Amino acid sequence: MTPVYMAAGDIPTPHIEYGRLAPVLIVLGAACVGVLVEALAPRAQRYGLQVLVSVVGLVAAFAWTIALGIGDQPHHVAAMGAVGVDGPTLFIQGTILVLALMSMLLIAERRHEDSPFTAQASTVPGSPEERESLVAGLVQTEIYPLVLFAVGGMLIFPAANDLLTMFVALEVMSLPLYLLCGLARRRRLLSQEAAVKYFLLGAFSSAFFLYGTAMLYGFAGSVRLSEIAAAISKQGGDEPLLLAGVALLSVGLLFKMGAAPFQAWKPDVYQGAPTALTALMASCTLVAAVGGVLRVFYVGLETLRWDWRPMMWAVAILTMLVGAIVAITQTDVKRMLAYSSIAHGGFLLTGVIATNKAGLSSTLFYLAAYGFTTVGAFAVITMVRDAGGEAGHLSRWAGLGKRQPLVAGTFAFFLLAFAGIPLTSGFTGKFAVFQAAMAGGAMPLVIVGVVSSAIAAFFYVRVIVLMFFSEPLADGPTVSFSPATATAVAVGAFVTLVLGVIPAPALHLAQSAANQLFVR
Amino acid sequence: MTGHYLVLSAILFTIGGIGVLIRRNAIVVFMCVELMLNATNLAFVSFARMHGSLDGQIIAFFVMVVAAAEVVVGLAIIMTIFRSRKSSSVDDANLLKY
Amino acid sequence: MNLYVPIVVLGALALLFAVGSVIMGSFTGPKRWNRARLEAYECGIEPTPQPVGGGRFPVKYYLTAMLFIVFDIEIIFLYPWAVAFDHMGLFGLVEMVLFIVTVLIAYAYVWRRGGLEWD
Repeated sequence: MTPVYMAAGDIPTPHIEYGRLAPVLIVLGAACVGVLVEALAPRAQRYGLQVLVSVVGLVAAFAWTIALGIGDQPHHVAAMGAVGVDGPTLFIQGTILVLALMSMLLIAERRHEDSPFTAQASTVPGSPEERESLVAGLVQTEIYPLVLFAVGGMLIFPAANDLLTMFVALEVMSLPLYLLCGLARRRRLLSQEAAVKYFLLGAFSSAFFLYGTAMLYGFAGSVRLSEIAAAISKQGGDEPLLLAGVALLSVGLLFKMGAAPFQAWKPDVYQGAPTALTALMASCTLVAAVGGVLRVFYVGLETLRWDWRPMMWAVAILTMLVGAIVAITQTDVKRMLAYSSIAHGGFLLTGVIATNKAGLSSTLFYLAAYGFTTVGAFAVITMVRDAGGEAGHLSRWAGLGKRQPLVAGTFAFFLLAFAGIPLTSGFTGKFAVFQAAMAGGAMPLVIVGVVSSAIAAFFYVRVIVLMFFSEPLADGPTVSFSPATATAVAVGAFVTLVLGVIPAPALHLAQSAANQLFVR
Repeated sequence: MTGHYLVLSAILFTIGGIGVLIRRNAIVVFMCVELMLNATNLAFVSFARMHGSLDGQIIAFFVMVVAAAEVVVGLAIIMTIFRSRKSSSVDDANLLKY
Repeated sequence: MNLYVPIVVLGALALLFAVGSVIMGSFTGPKRWNRARLEAYECGIEPTPQPVGGGRFPVKYYLTAMLFIVFDIEIIFLYPWAVAFDHMGLFGLVEMVLFIVTVLIAYAYVWRRGGLEWD
C-alpha cells in the first residue's frame, strides 16, 4: 500500500480540436450570448434579440455539422478522445439541431398569447403579483438561453466517448429542462409539480448512472468506453463489478429515454410541461438519450452483448407493452402521446439490441422520422385552444374534423404515422427496425413489437374516430392559426409523408452514416 | 483496505436510495440524492487509490461541481412549489396521475 | 496507521478546546441572564425578527445561498489548475480564461438583474 504521487512533469498538455467540436461550441456560445442579452439589453428588445441569437446559433451549428459530415469521412475523436466525431453522431446531432429549430418555432410563438411560458416564474400562481406581471405583459426571456444550454448538452451526450463527459452532458441537458418544465403560462400548479417530479426522479437516476460509472471505473481503471471494452475482452465478462456497473449505468440511461420500468416520469412531465417544451423533450431529448444508449452499448459494452441482451429484451418488451396498453385509458391528449412515446422507445430498443450496422442505421432513421412527427403532433396540440388555454382533454377534440378538417386531418395523419400505417414515415421506420431485429435473431421481440403496434393502433384510431365521426361540441375549442406554428406543423407533415413515400434517400443517408459504426 | 471504503460507499448509496423512496419531504428526498452522489465520490476516490491513477479524483471534482449545480436548480424548483402550495411534501403533489 | 496519528491528535485538541472553553466560561464569566443571551447567535449581528408562525427564512436567504454555492464551487477547478500551471503553459491559461469568462457571464446576469441586492 504505497501512496500515489504523480511526478510533477508527466502532465501532457491536452489539445482540443475546436473545428470538430464547433457545433456544440456554437450552441453553447449562443447560450452564453443569450445570458448576456438578458443582462444587458433593455427589456423591450430582449425577445427579438433572444430569438435571433437562438435561431442563428442553431442554424450555424447545423450548417457546421453538415460541413463536418460531407468533408472527409468523419471518423475522428476530439478533445483527447473524450468526444467522438463520427457518422452516427453527426447524424444524431444534425437531427437534434433541426428538431430543436422546429421546437423553437413553437417556443417563440406569440400569436396565441404573449408566450407559452409564464410571465414571471417567481410569482406565486393566483397571486396579485402574477396578475400584475401578466397585465404588464412581461415575458420570461431566459427561456431561450436555457433551451440552448439543454440542446448543447443533448449534442454532447451521444458524442461522449467517456462516461464522465457523458455524465456532465447528461446534467447540462437535464438541469435546464427541469427548470423549463415548471414555467408553463397556464395551469402553473400542474407545471410546477411536473418540474419537481422530473427533477427528483431525474437526479435519482443520474445518481444511478454515476454509481454505475464508478463500478466500471473500478473494473477497467478508466471511464473511456474503448478501454472498458478492451478490459472486458481481456478480463472476461463475469466480474461482479462489471455486471453491477452495467446494470446501474443502464438504469440511468433507460430512465432518460423513458423505458419501462423507469417510464413513470414521462406522462406527468409531458402533461405538465408547456406544450412547446414537451415537443422539444419528446423529440430532441429522446434522440439524444437513444444516441447515448447506442454509443454505450455499441462501443463500451459491445463485447458483453450476450450478457446484457436478455435484460434489454425484457426491457424492450415491457416498454412496448406498457406504452401501448396504458395509453388506451388516457383521456388527456398530451398524456396519451407520452405513453405513445414510451412505446416508441421500446421499438427503438429493438433496433439497439440488434448490435449491427442494420440495427444502428434503422434506429437512426427511426429517430429522425419519429422526431419530426412528434414535433408536428405537439404543434397541432398548441393550436387547438379553449378559453383557458390548450384543449387538453380528449373529449374536447370531439367533432373537430367537421369544423376544422385541415387541422384535424393533419393530426390524424400524425397519429397514423405513430401507428405505423404504410405511406407514413412511421411504417418505414418500424419496418427497418424490425427487419434489423429479425436479422439479429430477435424474432420474439419482433412479434411483441407487431402486437403492441396493433394495440397502439387501436387508440390512435379511436382519437381519429372521435374527431371525425362525433358531433362537434357547441362550445368546442377554436383553432388558433399562426405562421410559426403552421410552419412547424407543415414541416412535420411534409417530412412524415416524404419519409413514408420515398424513404430511399433518407435510409441511404442513415446507412452511410452508420457505415463505420461509432469511433472508439 | 480500499475494500472497506467501497463497502462504506455502497452502504451510503443504499441509505440514500432508500431515503429517496421512503421520505416524504422533497428537501429530504433531495438530500438523500446528494448522499448517493457523495457515496459515488467515495467509490471513485477509493478506486483511484486502488488503480493508482488520478482519474477517479478528477472525476470526484466534476461530480462535486455538477452536484452543486443540481442543488441550485433543485432548491429553486422546490422553493417555487413550496411558495405556491405551502408544503414541500411529495405526497401533496398529486395533481398529475394516471 | 502512523499517518493518522496527527489527525487524531488534532481532533483531540479541537475537542479539548471546545469542551474546555465551554466549561471555563461557566466558571469565569459573569452570570447575567437577559433576553439577548437566549437569542440565536447570528455572527454578532442583531437577529432578524422571526415572522409570526414559525422561524422561516425569507426567500432572499435561499437566493444568496444558491449564488454562493454556484460561485464558490468554481474554486475546485482553479486549485488543480494552479498546481499544474507550470506544465500547462499557454493552453492552460487560455482554457482557464475561457472558464472564468463563462462564470463572469453568469455573474453579469446576476448583478444586472438585481440578484445581489438585498432589498
